[in-house]
Amino acid sequence: MITGVLLFLWAAIVWLFELPHYILPGPDRVARVLFERPELFLHHALITATEIIAGLALGAVLGMLVACLIADSPRLQRWTLPVLVVSQALPVFALAPILMLWLGYGFASKLAMTTLIVFFPVTAATLSGFRALPASWSDTLKTLRGHRLRIFWQVRFPLALPFAGSGLRIAASVAPIGAVVGEWMGSAGGLGSLMLHANGRGQTDILFAALVVLCLLALLIWDITQRLTKPLNRYQAFD
Amino acid sequence: MLTIQQLDLSYPNYPPLATIDWSIERGQHVALLGRSGVGKSTLLKALLETPLPPQIRCETSRIAYMAQSAVLLPWLSVRDNVRLGASLRGEPEDDSRALTESLLDRVGLTGLADRPANQLSGGQKSRVALARCLFERAELVLLDEPFAALDRSTRIEMAELCQELLTEQTVILVTHDPRDASDWLDAAWVLSGSQLSGPLDLTRFQDDRALIHALDGAL
Repeated sequence: MITGVLLFLWAAIVWLFELPHYILPGPDRVARVLFERPELFLHHALITATEIIAGLALGAVLGMLVACLIADSPRLQRWTLPVLVVSQALPVFALAPILMLWLGYGFASKLAMTTLIVFFPVTAATLSGFRALPASWSDTLKTLRGHRLRIFWQVRFPLALPFAGSGLRIAASVAPIGAVVGEWMGSAGGLGSLMLHANGRGQTDILFAALVVLCLLALLIWDITQRLTKPLNRYQAFD
Repeated sequence: MLTIQQLDLSYPNYPPLATIDWSIERGQHVALLGRSGVGKSTLLKALLETPLPPQIRCETSRIAYMAQSAVLLPWLSVRDNVRLGASLRGEPEDDSRALTESLLDRVGLTGLADRPANQLSGGQKSRVALARCLFERAELVLLDEPFAALDRSTRIEMAELCQELLTEQTVILVTHDPRDASDWLDAAWVLSGSQLSGPLDLTRFQDDRALIHALDGAL
């Protein structure tokens, strides 16, 4: 419904203001280029999708690992959290040239940028999960006299999983930024690179079509993440 | 079983709520009454500390605790929740199989043993929590208003179950209203103002007015 309204508004603006197609192509032109050259968009979309998914997976694993390592140590949290916050406060655009310098123009720099963007929301959310253990749980666990590691893996880690899942869902919605910014800085492929080249050649229809594909890809990855993390809600504590 | 001398009950960074002297004999079942915020749960938490504060002398370290919520792991079955302590201590399942099954039978949950805990009613969750308490073979059982969220008939049912199953243990039941459990409690103490008063006969709390007076410290 909303998509229909937006498409209608887009077409209406182009028609009403008689905008030239190199400024704003109508949805019909964008659709035409999408159907005429599907292999072009598929090729670049696959590159971007690989970068996003790999960054999402690596960021999630690293984020949860760091949260597990610092969960029980207020001192480690005091040391690491400022670094994590700074890593988020610096825009990825500012870090991109450095990462390019260190990791080159290939896959690694895009993976690093996406991982960096994903890492913080996953770490912060998982850590909130560890901190959210109600006092009644801590008191009960004390009387069960369990091994610390067993309590961690059998109780505290599973109870933190729904929080990690919500962090992952947030991360999935911002992960494409890392991949696309990386591609803008320099890349042989990917939707960001395609958009940059199309812009340089005045191929506004390809630029818009790449943007549409990127939106669809972002939605698809977010939806898959949503579905994959939904089962984690079974670990939600109840009263 | 338990002797407390000059224990200050306080929240961190606040002046003491009360200074407690208290003694409970082995096998006694007592209610600890008081309005919200007087320090009843704080007193129970002091008993759960390891090591115990020097003001508390307790003859046993085998203490079981039931919180206000059932504190069950939702993804585990009823059976696995009952034997959670053994699992966290790394004890083989075979060692406690008979005990687990017998406790499930005693709390009336044999038919639900394989059901995940998140598919239970409030009363059933309380039964699982009680079975887990019994599984620990504790000598001192601390019950922190565990049935407060249940409807009255289920509360009475749980009190009957406690009366039947918690016979050998020493029990402290923190509650606002001891009337549902009056049959299996020996006495009540009231924490009010800055003092703990008791032991009091439970028959004196049979009407609302007497209970309110008691909670206000007008004994």
